[in-house]
Amino acid sequence: MHFKVRAATKEDCKEISRMILELAVFEKMPDQVKISHEELERDGFCQNPFFECLVAEVPEENTSKDGFTVVGYALYFYTYSTWKGPTVFLEDIYVMPEFRGNGFGKGLLCKVAKVGKEKRCVRLQLSVLDWNTPTRDFYAAKGAQDLTDSEGWHFIRFDGQNLDNLANEAPKD
Amino acid sequence: MHFKVRAATKEDCKEISRMILELAVYEKMPDQVKISHEELERDGFCQNPFFECLVAEVPEENTSKDGFTVVGYALYFYTYSTWKGPTVFLDDIYVMPEFRGNGFGKGLLCKVAKVGKEKRCVRLQLTVLDWNTPSRDFYAAKGAQDLTDSEGWHFIRFDGQNLDNLANEAPKD
Repeated sequence: MHFKVRAATKEDCKEISRMILELAVFEKMPDQVKISHEELERDGFCQNPFFECLVAEVPEENTSKDGFTVVGYALYFYTYSTWKGPTVFLEDIYVMPEFRGNGFGKGLLCKVAKVGKEKRCVRLQLSVLDWNTPTRDFYAAKGAQDLTDSEGWHFIRFDGQNLDNLANEAPKD
Repeated sequence: MHFKVRAATKEDCKEISRMILELAVYEKMPDQVKISHEELERDGFCQNPFFECLVAEVPEENTSKDGFTVVGYALYFYTYSTWKGPTVFLDDIYVMPEFRGNGFGKGLLCKVAKVGKEKRCVRLQLTVLDWNTPSRDFYAAKGAQDLTDSEGWHFIRFDGQNLDNLANEAPKD
């Protein structure tokens, strides 16, 4: 099936927002999504954007059953390793179920890797849920290392009141 | 003990580089560090820096036994959650052993949280090694959630030849 992977534009944010919710449903956490397409537009297309995004697009004659041509996305940003240097972090990658099995996911992942390498990145990193075997196998087949399994890295988060408490205890300037 | 937490300057990169190596030794991976202070200067103090950094500094009369006044650092950058919005990611936090137990680590962590909140971040995230009980307990005591334990998130990496292979398979534009 013919498809194109291109950089997202501000106008794509409504479609990306739709697919963010579809991915959250797949990850069994749909009530967690608090970001609207307006916030994506603000945060991704401002002076110092928080992220970049690629979309997978099909021609008009191959729209999804609901009439969409933007049928997948990969949202990523740049991070840093004090040991190795710049890294690209793939935050979300998603292809609508009816388009899977046609190389769209691989196309998105590989394009993120290519964009990252053009920006001098030496690593591509991401996180995946332990029960998500198809996705874990997909990455493993492409040479990924699972650092939680191999080195024991745990992923830690502060939010809500705990984050506020930390901020309030910061030393005065 | 009196100390100050301030934003790092380009001139601090030699000290930060020294402490990056000390932290790698603590994490049992000293041969992994490939970044020099020149690269830190380039990557952290350019037009679109890959990271920001805070340092913990003691007065001249309290230098380390080797004569250093910059005795701790916290290196972080901004990431994005498609569910919640901007996040601050704490990549490294380190205090020289002789200065521990005086609140320097807490001061650095809290200042990162404060800086993050000023930039609209709703989360502070980091990774920690499973055997690093003192650090895990430090974060847990401050309200952190361990998402690897509670939700099953695994941390995945592509580098070296595997990253090159991905990039080379990217769809043509």
